[in-house]
Parts: sequence; structure tokens; C-alpha cells
Amino acid sequence: MGDGTPSEDARAEAVVSLTGVYKVYELGQPVPVLDDLSLTLAEGSYTAIMGPSGSGKSTLLNLIGCLDAPTAGIVEIDGRDVTTLSEDERATVRGEKIGFVFQTFNLLPRLSSLENVALPLVFRGVAREERRDRAAELLERVGLEDRMDHRPTELSGGQRQRVAVARALVNRPTIVLADEPTGSLDSETSGQILDLLDRVHAAGNTVLLVTHERTVAERAERIVHVLDGTVESVEELGGRRTASANDRWT
Amino acid sequence: MDVIEALRMSWRSITDHKLRSALTTLGVIIGVAAVIAFVTLGASLQADIVQTLAGDTTDVMYVSAESQTEGEIGVLPSRGQAVFTDRDVDRIRRIDGVENAVPVGGFATAGVAHGDDTVGRQFVTVTTPGYFGVNDQTIVAGRTFRSGQREVVVNQQAARMFRGNVSVGDEITFTRAGSGEELNATVVGIAKSPDRSGRVQSLVGDDRPAIYAPADPYYERTVIAPSTRSEQRVYAQVLVRVDDVERIEAVQGRVYSYLTQRSDARVLKAQGNQFEVLTHEQIVDQIERISATFTAYITGVAVISLVVGAIGIANIILVSVTERTREIGVMKAIGARRRDIIQLFLLEAILLGLLGSAIGSVVGLASGALATAVIGLPLEVRPIWFVVAVVVGLLVGIASGLYPAWSAARTDPIEALRHE
Ligand SMILES: Nc1ncnc2c1ncn2[C@@H]1O[C@H](COP(=O)(O)OP(=O)(O)OP(=O)(O)O)[C@@H](O)[C@H]1O
Ligand SMILES: [Mg+2]
Repeated sequence: MGDGTPSEDARAEAVVSLTGVYKVYELGQPVPVLDDLSLTLAEGSYTAIMGPSGSGKSTLLNLIGCLDAPTAGIVEIDGRDVTTLSEDERATVRGEKIGFVFQTFNLLPRLSSLENVALPLVFRGVAREERRDRAAELLERVGLEDRMDHRPTELSGGQRQRVAVARALVNRPTIVLADEPTGSLDSETSGQILDLLDRVHAAGNTVLLVTHERTVAERAERIVHVLDGTVESVEELGGRRTASANDRWT
Repeated sequence: MDVIEALRMSWRSITDHKLRSALTTLGVIIGVAAVIAFVTLGASLQADIVQTLAGDTTDVMYVSAESQTEGEIGVLPSRGQAVFTDRDVDRIRRIDGVENAVPVGGFATAGVAHGDDTVGRQFVTVTTPGYFGVNDQTIVAGRTFRSGQREVVVNQQAARMFRGNVSVGDEITFTRAGSGEELNATVVGIAKSPDRSGRVQSLVGDDRPAIYAPADPYYERTVIAPSTRSEQRVYAQVLVRVDDVERIEAVQGRVYSYLTQRSDARVLKAQGNQFEVLTHEQIVDQIERISATFTAYITGVAVISLVVGAIGIANIILVSVTERTREIGVMKAIGARRRDIIQLFLLEAILLGLLGSAIGSVVGLASGALATAVIGLPLEVRPIWFVVAVVVGLLVGIASGLYPAWSAARTDPIEALRHE
């Protein structure tokens, strides 16, 4: 993903593209969870996925996040087919191109905020100094400069999720994947996290968010409705803003 | 993933469960400590023996008839079966290359009295006047006892044993154990212990208090000698001094063939008993063999302890892997490859192994030092043991961590992330 790419082009470069993806689980009989699903995400876009429970949203996110491989079909990230990669190659792609934000934060309990944020860089072999600097910078951006040495248990839910967002961004990912990031938070803290994601998006990051709540989904530029493992409809939320992004982020 | 960071994370996981980690490493601690302690002891013993041999005259042989229990040292006068008659001793003395041979027997006393002080349970060595020459013992005061007289010689340790030190001319009374018969004797000489210092000396019994008495009139143990059909005294041991140390093996052979072919002892000894004709060197060999056997045995126990220790570590790492399934999933999601996960858990196991062997080394060295100090041996420490201990700790860690680490690395990230 070169920096010179002309963005905001009519057909902005697709950083993620799924073509005819199937995911079938064998449970006595084959159960298709994703059923001929196709989807593209443009660079710098902000997409929300909605759909009933069990419709395959998390499964879809896991495929894009290279945690899993489809039964059939092609998943491309940055134009590269990732379906045939080995487990370790997928791990490398995750480390380089994906940033995960989970509903339950999933921070490592024995590591401080700073160490949690720096951890993806550890697996990429980035030097210690650089790791620290980068992690500290991100914690500052999410407003946790005074919580760097706290362990997750010493943080509130909202603070933990901010650490998680910082961790998701530390490797300058191609795409940030957030599976119900506000699912464990009260509405006020949810708002803070969503504001944070807005800023992340405004800074040029591609964001894909799964949610059950319409109000949350409306923060995005478009909503993809998923039903029974396939895309039912795509709702463009026209006239989307440059809004709340304060430029501290860029 | 850089090792320093992996080390920090593994270390934190260990220190977060201090008690659990400590208990886990106990097996390794005990194993390593046992080996280090006994190897220290063994080496100190051998160092002492080497010192002993260096300054020793080795022209004395100990003849006895021993039951063939593995690893026994047949040199103490009370040991072995009393089978050597006066005639046997006489014949051995006349063997080519033998300078002198003296019988060594003895009896137990209920107590020995000197003035108004009594010492209980003292053993009295019974022999002939030639004993002191054969055994390299100088008479430092007075003279040797005469056969047929109520006279005794005591060594310096025995002289100091009584409240008022014994001096030449003093009377002592001993009570024969069993019969309770009271025997009087005049102390006519005080003997010095032989110059062979150290371990052999104490094993032979030379550094303990000793009272030496003439067989005539004090020794009562007799048999009808098969060769002469007359009543003769029998002894458990004969001490033989050779003319020439260089030819000691030849003399040893001749003594042995006399014993097995023409001696009274050959007829008198019990079926299962065998003649032993041992030089100092062979005694030392025997001691070394025993110490080697002992070390091998302890090493065996230690190996078992290490195996148990390794299983303990493996178990705790498996627990740790299960407890941290979700963490493993998270790490994989943010880019950890299999080798990163393996590294983390393997390091944890290795750290536990090394920790155990380090603590074990210290404990082992301390107990070894204590034991040698108590016995009075020079402490012998070789740095190589600690290198070996570290390597053992490393190997135990690797052996016990491999499977858990591998199973952690195989964890499916999606499953793991769903794990509660
Ligand atoms: N490992 C698996 N084995 C078998 N079935 C699975 C597996 N993982 C998911 N499924 C099934 O796939 C379907 C989709 O699951 P998924 O988690 O993607 O749903 P979702 O849309 O995220 O639901 P929710 O909104 O409740 O999180 C479900 O019916 C689930 O039971
Ligand atoms: Mg889901």
C-alpha cells in the first residue's frame, strides 16, 4: 500500500476483497456458515457489518483477519491471495497487515499497557527502543499516557479497550477489524471508543466493524447487512462526514 | 521474537506463581543437590586417599577370612572369622619374602578401669610383641609387652582417654565382657599411631583408642588345630610385613597359596568365607570401589528424582498452557508464529529447570561442605560439576517443556479466543 496512491478516487483501491467465499463446518452434516459471499473494502473506508446472531459475521471477520481459511473462494489482502498460505505465513500477514479489536479486549494480563501495545512489534522483530517509542506514542494518542505502566486489571473497561485500539494500530495495519468493540461497554464509554475509531478512520485507516446496534453502525460510511452467510444488502450512508476527527491523529 | 523479551515474559509468568514454581522445581532441586553433595563427598574422600597413599609405606598386608558380602572392608580386627592358628602365623612368618607376621585378635570388655576412672566397652587387641614393628608403631614411652606377662601397651589416644592420663607403670583393670572376669595388667608402654594419616588409618582403626595385650595370658579363644591335633589359639587376622615392597605381590601370592593349601585356617573356615590378603593399595581400591558404587547408587536415585522433577515441570507448563489458552489465541491473532509460542513456553520450562539446578547446586554444595567438615575431610570442589548441573537443568527444562510448548503452538487461534 504505497503512500502515493490517489485516494478518494471513484474506485479507490480495494485493500480487502472476498470473491465467492464459502465456509462450511462439518457437524455430522456440512453446515454452510458463509455461502458464496463476496465483498470488497476500499482503502480508507469505514464499513459496518450487521446481521442476526449466527449469520456469520465473526466468521467473515476471522477470514479477513487471516485467523482462518475459507472452504472455497478467494480472500485477497492488499491484492495478495491469502487462502493458500500456511499457518505461520498467515500469522505473519496478521502481524503486518491486520489490527484486531475484540469485544472482550483480550489484553495480556501480565503485561503493562505499554507492553501490550508493543507486543505485535515484538513478534515482528522490531527493536526494543522503537517498540517503546511507537507504543508510547499510540498510548498518548488514545489518551492513556499516564497509564502506560498499569496492568489491564488496573484499568477500566473503556481504558482497556483504548489500549486494545492502540495495540491494533501499532503495526500500521492495512485494516482494523473490530468485532463488537463496544459490546462490553456502557453507552458513554462506547461513545468514547466509537469517537476513537472515527479518528482512526479519519487518519486514513481502513476500518471494518461488526455490531448489532444500528446507532453504532451508523458511524460508518456504509453498512453491509449479512444474512445466512451472504451479503443481503449494502446500505450507503451518503454524505458522510469528515466530522468529529480532530487532527491530533494525523 | 527476541529472546530477551521472551525471557522477560516467561520469567514474569514464573514469578507470578512463586509458590507453584518453587514446588515444581523441588524434584530438580533434590536431584541436583543429592548428586552434588555426594560427588563432593566422594571426591573429597578420594582426595584424602590420594594424600594418604602418597606418604605411605605399603609393605603391610592384612590377612583375614571374610564372608563374601559385596563391598565390605575386611581389615578391622573384630571382623572376619577367627581361623588362623598360632601354627599358621608361624608358617606365614617363614614364607620367603615375609619379614614378620603377627596374629591380631581381641576381646570386648565391659569396662576398663584406671585409678578411679572407668571407660566402658573398650576393645582389647590381642597380639604378640612383634606387632608394633610390623604395624609401624613407635613405642614413645616404656617398652613393648612381654608374652606370658600381665602387661599391656596402650596407644596415645587410649592414654588420654582416662581422666588422669595413663603413664608407664600404671595399673589397669579390665572386665571381660560376658564372663565378667576381672583382669589386671601393668601398662608397660605407650605406642604412637602409625604415620599413615587420614582415612585408611581410621578405617583400619589406628586412630581410635587401643589397648594391646599379649595373647598369652589374655587370649582364651582356642581350637584343636587340624594339623597338630593340639589346642591352639585362633585369630581373626594376621598382619604381615614384607621384606621388599617391590615384591609384595609375589609374597601375597605365596601367602595365599599357603592359606588355601596347607593352613589350619583352610580347614577351620566356614564354607562361605574366603581368604583375603589385602595390601594397603587394595584396601584403598576397595574403598574407591565402594565409594563409586555408592555414587552410582545415589546418581540413580538422583536421576529418578530428576525424571520426577521433569514430569513436574511438564505438568505445570501444561497447566500454564491450558490456563493461558486465550492469551495464546491473542498472541497468535496479533502475529505470533508457532515458533514464538514454542519459545515462550519452552523458555518457561528451561527457566524452571535452571532455577532448580541452581538452587540444587547451592544446597548440594552446602551439604557436601558440611558433611566433609563433620567427617574431617579436605573439601574438594570441581567447577565442572556446576557446568554439568546447569546442562542437566537445561536438558530437564527442554525435555519437560517440549511437549507442552508444542501443544501450545498448535492451538487454533479462533478456538483459543473463544476459550473462557
Ligand atoms: N468452529 C465451529 N464449528 C462449527 N460451527 C461453527 C464454528 N464456528 C462457528 N460456527 C457456527 O457458524 C455460525 C456463525 O457463527 P459466527 O460466530 O460467525 O456468528 P456471528 O454472526 O458472529 O454471531 P454473533 O452475532 O452471535 O456473534 C454459527 O451458527 C456457529 O454455530
Ligand atoms: Mg460474532
